[in-house]
Amino acid sequence: MTHEQIADIAELYALGMLDESERAAVDEHLLGCSTCAQRLAKAEGDVALIASMEPQRTAPRELQARVDRALQNRRQPWMPAMAIAAAVAIAFLPSLYLWSRTDALHRAMLAQTDAAQRLAGAPHRMARFRTMPGMPPAELAYAPDGSWYLVLVHDASKRLSVAWMHDGTKTMLGDVVPSGHLASLYLPKSHPMDRIALMDGDRIVAEVTLSWGKTSRDRQADRSA
Amino acid sequence: MNPAPGGDEALAVAFAAHERWAFSEAYRQNASVLYSAAYNVLGNADDAKDCVAEAIARLWRAPRPYSPGRGSLRNFLIVCVRNEAISRRRHHARRTRMELRLAGMASAHEPFEPGDPIERDRVRSAMLALPPEQRTAIALAFYGGKTHSEISAELREPLGTIKSRIKLGLRKLAAALELPKTEEGAR
Repeated sequence: MTHEQIADIAELYALGMLDESERAAVDEHLLGCSTCAQRLAKAEGDVALIASMEPQRTAPRELQARVDRALQNRRQPWMPAMAIAAAVAIAFLPSLYLWSRTDALHRAMLAQTDAAQRLAGAPHRMARFRTMPGMPPAELAYAPDGSWYLVLVHDASKRLSVAWMHDGTKTMLGDVVPSGHLASLYLPKSHPMDRIALMDGDRIVAEVTLSWGKTSRDRQADRSA
Repeated sequence: MNPAPGGDEALAVAFAAHERWAFSEAYRQNASVLYSAAYNVLGNADDAKDCVAEAIARLWRAPRPYSPGRGSLRNFLIVCVRNEAISRRRHHARRTRMELRLAGMASAHEPFEPGDPIERDRVRSAMLALPPEQRTAIALAFYGGKTHSEISAELREPLGTIKSRIKLGLRKLAAALELPKTEEGAR
């Protein structure tokens, strides 16, 4: 609400003629505006003057006790809560931020190490994404049984989402975040997926289709075993 | 209890700081005018008592109910109690309207129960001195407890026109009723 709007409705506010939402908007403005508070004080003074000239009655004596009981029962519950929240924010947020950063880095390193061990020691297949023009090359390393996947994007300049496309719907699996020359997303516990896409927002920018039949290389490996 | 050492100003500061004793003392000092403000809108003692107790409790619960920059604490409390009373009256009127409608007896006009303050000579004179259109708007606003939209609909006048009439009427009425400080302080 602007100063002009407050000036326009100050008398209505003082007379109790505004609805709840209008009144709340004025209250919010008044918290930070002493000029409008003074403007309103004048209107409230006029209303109070007229109200005090109406027929006066002596307040019942028991009303004081009732008011005092209300003040005992309803101590501002927001005060301790706000104070505690503020203290937590001031004292712990920097630590929390560092912890979350460190934890995220730690988890990323573990995932990278796990992925590297998989690539080095476990049988896997490689597939290349078909990419839209202008998109960086991307590959997919994955277990022959579909139990894990590693999405690799070379020289990625922006965050891309990885989605499993199935039955006319898509399931978001995570993001590939640009980091150096090779960005990756490791999906350690998974299942066979036929079609995986890279998405830039809502737009599919790369796609790969997987075949789960045994390759000649698989069959050769089976024979050797 | 910690009575304010510095009078009204200290009481206002303590009230703004959410001191319990200040809320209790502010009520004690203004008990009759607050009760009367509620009674004159609601028209009966039980509703007026409920209204005053709830208005003070509501302020007590509010995070920042008042600041001394807002003006006189007494005026502020009177307006708060009046507003609580008007809300209750509107709520009651809505319920009554609904009951009447259900009974197939819908009425275009709500009864106005509270004692008519225009009987008071000075107020009556000041009201009569207002131009008729301002007098009507003020009467509906101050004594009828209607919103500006309701008055606009009832009088079939644009909202802006109603606002102007109320604004001008209220200022003129207050100016006509303005009392010397000593007399006002004695109330």
